[in-house]
Amino acid sequence: MESQPNKQTGWCNGIAVDLYSGGVGKSCLLLQFTDKRFQPVHDLTIGVEFGARMITIDGKQIKLQIWDTAGQEAFRSITRSYYRGAAGALLVYDITRRETFNHLTTWLEDARQHSNSNMVIMLIGNKSDLESRREVKKEEGEAFAREHGLIFMETSAKTAANVEEAFINTAKEIYEKIQEGVFDINNEVCCTFLLNLAS
Amino acid sequence: MEYFKSGLKSVLGTPQEGSQPTGAETVERLVDRVQSSTLLDDRRDACRALKALSRKFRIEVGAQGMGALCQVLEMDRRDCEIVGYALDTLCNITAPESFEDEEHTSLSLSSVGNIGEQFTEIFIKQPDNVGLVLGFLEEYDFHVRWPAVKLLTSLLDNRPKEIQEIILASPMGVSKLMELLGDSREVIRNDALLLLVQLTKGNANIQKIVAFQSAFDRLFDVISEEGYSDGGIVVEDCLLLMLNLLRNNNSNQNFFKEGSYIQRLAPMFNLPPESDDTGWSAQKVSNILCMLQVVRTLVPPGNPAQLTMSSQKTMKACGLLETLCNILMASGVPADVLTETINTVAEVIRGNQGNQEYFANVMAPSNPPRPAVVVLLMSMVNEKQPFGLRCSVLYCFQCFLFKNEIGQSQLVQTLLPSSTEVVSLTTGQLLCGGLFSGEALSNWFSAVALSYALVENPAQKEQLLRVLLATSIGNQPISLMHQCTMLLLQQGNKVQSKLGLLMLLSTWLAHCPLAVKQFLSIPTSIPYLTAQAGSNEHDDNEKLVQGMCAFLMGICVTFNDDTVTTFSKEKLRQLVEKRLGLETFLDKISEVSKHELYSKAAKHPQFQAKQSSELLLDHEFCCLFKALEGMVIKAVTPKPQGDLVNGSSELSMSPSENSLLLQYKDLIREQDRKLQELTQIIDRLTAEKSTLQAQVDDLTSTISQLRDENMVLRAQTNTGLGQTTDGSTLGHKSWAKSHQLKTDSECKDSLTCKLEEQVTSGTMSDLEARLRSTTMDGTVSTSDTEKELRETQQRLAAAEEKLAELESADSELQKLRKDQEDLLELLTDQDTRLNQLKAQLRALGEKVDDDDEDLEEEGEGYEDEDSA
Ligand SMILES: Nc1nc2c(ncn2[C@@H]2O[C@H](COP(=O)(O)OP(=O)(O)O)[C@@H](O)[C@H]2O)c(=O)[nH]1
Ligand SMILES: [Mg+2]
Repeated sequence: MESQPNKQTGWCNGIAVDLYSGGVGKSCLLLQFTDKRFQPVHDLTIGVEFGARMITIDGKQIKLQIWDTAGQEAFRSITRSYYRGAAGALLVYDITRRETFNHLTTWLEDARQHSNSNMVIMLIGNKSDLESRREVKKEEGEAFAREHGLIFMETSAKTAANVEEAFINTAKEIYEKIQEGVFDINNEVCCTFLLNLAS
Repeated sequence: MEYFKSGLKSVLGTPQEGSQPTGAETVERLVDRVQSSTLLDDRRDACRALKALSRKFRIEVGAQGMGALCQVLEMDRRDCEIVGYALDTLCNITAPESFEDEEHTSLSLSSVGNIGEQFTEIFIKQPDNVGLVLGFLEEYDFHVRWPAVKLLTSLLDNRPKEIQEIILASPMGVSKLMELLGDSREVIRNDALLLLVQLTKGNANIQKIVAFQSAFDRLFDVISEEGYSDGGIVVEDCLLLMLNLLRNNNSNQNFFKEGSYIQRLAPMFNLPPESDDTGWSAQKVSNILCMLQVVRTLVPPGNPAQLTMSSQKTMKACGLLETLCNILMASGVPADVLTETINTVAEVIRGNQGNQEYFANVMAPSNPPRPAVVVLLMSMVNEKQPFGLRCSVLYCFQCFLFKNEIGQSQLVQTLLPSSTEVVSLTTGQLLCGGLFSGEALSNWFSAVALSYALVENPAQKEQLLRVLLATSIGNQPISLMHQCTMLLLQQGNKVQSKLGLLMLLSTWLAHCPLAVKQFLSIPTSIPYLTAQAGSNEHDDNEKLVQGMCAFLMGICVTFNDDTVTTFSKEKLRQLVEKRLGLETFLDKISEVSKHELYSKAAKHPQFQAKQSSELLLDHEFCCLFKALEGMVIKAVTPKPQGDLVNGSSELSMSPSENSLLLQYKDLIREQDRKLQELTQIIDRLTAEKSTLQAQVDDLTSTISQLRDENMVLRAQTNTGLGQTTDGSTLGHKSWAKSHQLKTDSECKDSLTCKLEEQVTSGTMSDLEARLRSTTMDGTVSTSDTEKELRETQQRLAAAEEKLAELESADSELQKLRKDQEDLLELLTDQDTRLNQLKAQLRALGEKVDDDDEDLEEEGEGYEDEDSA
């Protein structure tokens, strides 16, 4: 099952954007990426929601499938069902709430335990537009990422700053792994992300 | 209770019937062997024998053997054979249906239905048991995997919610089930399909995980392997699973669309060449109907518009819409397939301009070639066509014109006088023909279809006013509106026709003063409506007609620009008041939404009618009614207070309004007078009070003065001894005076207090109360709204009560179940005790029934039966 190639469509299961219990902005990030809009009041995600977008890497059209997961503990066992098929994950915290940053370790352990060991994980500090309310320094995010071998970026789902980059960089990383043959995926054209969140 | 008594009888055996052991006794001994034998071979044999008995003696095996069987699953899991027997046995005892050879002598039939459920409940009390069964899905051995699949299916059948949650919570539970679809052994794959169908029912989270695990790919693979619609029932099962995954699940619908699975639907509808008469088997019809359902679940009218739009777009782009339209125009298609295809095309084009335009240009291969729309409408107004098919055409037409201004205007255009002579049959002509048909249903269909050209389209409402129809040669052509009104008069008791026309007219006149004007200028129109709305027939459908007539009158008031002087807004209002009475009139309007078919029609755009008599109200009309009802009521209801505030002329009021106004004025005047009186009283009392207060103050100061004097005098008395007498006399006098003053003042004080009290508490509160009541009278009108609110709350409360009743009934049921279980347990206990006692007796050398010796042989006998 693990990231098996899908012979029919050539989709690969790839990235997981990981946002955790409510409110760090996972769903907003996904909406900004797929629909290019920000919706301030967003429904609480129940279980998992699906989103998709085409991007181009190295002149190749790649379809990203993204699964936006609910952060609450109650959905943990559901969320886990998605780890195994994912090639990547965005692990998101909220720079204005330190507790979401403190929660990262727990989440990371859970993800590493239930996912393909090659899963690309990107750490996202979201809500960078709220500089005045910042509780987590950028340097802290960078340090955490370095320590755990993650890519790091600060984003704002509101202003769209770095949102494209976050998804596309993760996709590129996955794509490289596919090229290297790390993922057993036939070269074409789709990645599944998982969005997880730390809150 | 009877169940357990009889169960007891069979467990204990019917006493003294020769030396034959009963089934229960055999079961008991086998269970004992499974549980306590140290040899695997022995346990296995016993388990096999139990399996053989588990249909005939289902209750006995279930009641006594459940523990032993679970123990096998846990302890002997490495031995596929014994696990297979245990799973098979569990399958039998939890089966949702009962077996033909099942023995339940004196059981009431109703309790038989619950046996599987009850054993399921006992089995899942220990959720680990389900985990064990899930684990056996990973065992490749056919004799383990297959019964494990079947057992899970039974469990799901009996206790869907609980099992779904257990599977969701168990690690990779859903994945294990999905793997089964890849099993090369068809039986397992097919049964796994059925299992997944059960598993995904009504649980969005499971549906999403299943979709995530490439369900759609696998299902399409199976479907194409099996030959698409020509495949067997497996294809239907695949489609049923697909339906479960997609129905009401927007996330999965989005995934389906983004995963390009819509493109893979198109080839399913490729029909065999027409010469091929292998044609339409029952299975093929079922398969195609299911596929059409899959298409429809992707674009239901209630879905988020964006999602539906983009799915519709893909359906056209990938040729699916074209394929569907081909079915519409093909010959030899069974009526139910054709009907459902029309419904499907309807939803694929609904509200999507591009698709609607495509549909408008589809030509039927008739001679001469005609637009498909025309051919479809011909079927709709043809009474020989099946009812369902005709409904689907109207639905398709509704969807075709939904948010389609171009289509609406083209339809109206076909009715307008044009410079070019049109020879061919047009949609407009067909519908007008339908209006005049002798068949009520055709009238209804045509009127409603015509109204679709007007929905939310003011321009076409005005255009349609220009339509003139020639009735007979030589006569002046008359307007369509006039025709409709005349038709209405001629319908007599044809309720369906009348309702069709009334819906058409309501849609036409709403928000269109010009149309109202034309309607009011027809001499018979208002008298007809007044007569109908005022009639008093009690039949439900007649009441509906009365209500609709009242509603139409209301529309004439609401959208009246006063250009027809005989029926100006005000005159119509007076007419309502005088001829019908406002209350009655409003009651009649409320009859519309009270009709049993109203809520059905309001809920879904598609017609839900099973037969012609249920076809009275249309969805689009219900939407209009909902939007306008409040406005219409307001327009016909006089609002005296508003007029007062605006100072607007009282001349424009009806006599009744006027008299009401006068009453109000009198009331207010009266209240005003009372208010003034009361204010005067307060003033007087306040004045009195302050006078008294001044007196009190005066007195108080005199007293203190005297006190001072007194003190001085006392001091003098004490020092000047010589003048004692005089001094003391003086002192005395002064004291007496002072005392008197004091009393005096105290008395006045208390009087003041009393007065104060009176003023503040008594009189004031009285005043306040009167003031309050004055204010209240002024707000009578709001109390109506409040009354409504209260009624709604009451209804809500009643509903809640009912819910609570249901809940309590449910908990009672649970209690009963629990009691049953307890009894069952007791039974087993007694049973064990009995055995112990027997054993003791035997040990004491006492002779107990000798069945036990024979049991061994009996057991063997059953095993033979099994292997046979
Ligand atoms: N200012 C700001 N607010 C954001 C941003 N992203 C999300 N939000 C807000 O944070 C809240 C939670 O967002 P949501 O996407 O539902 O969080 P989720 O539970 O992680 O999916 C919402 O009220 C959003 O409006 C951001 O980048 N900047
Ligand atoms: Mg969310």
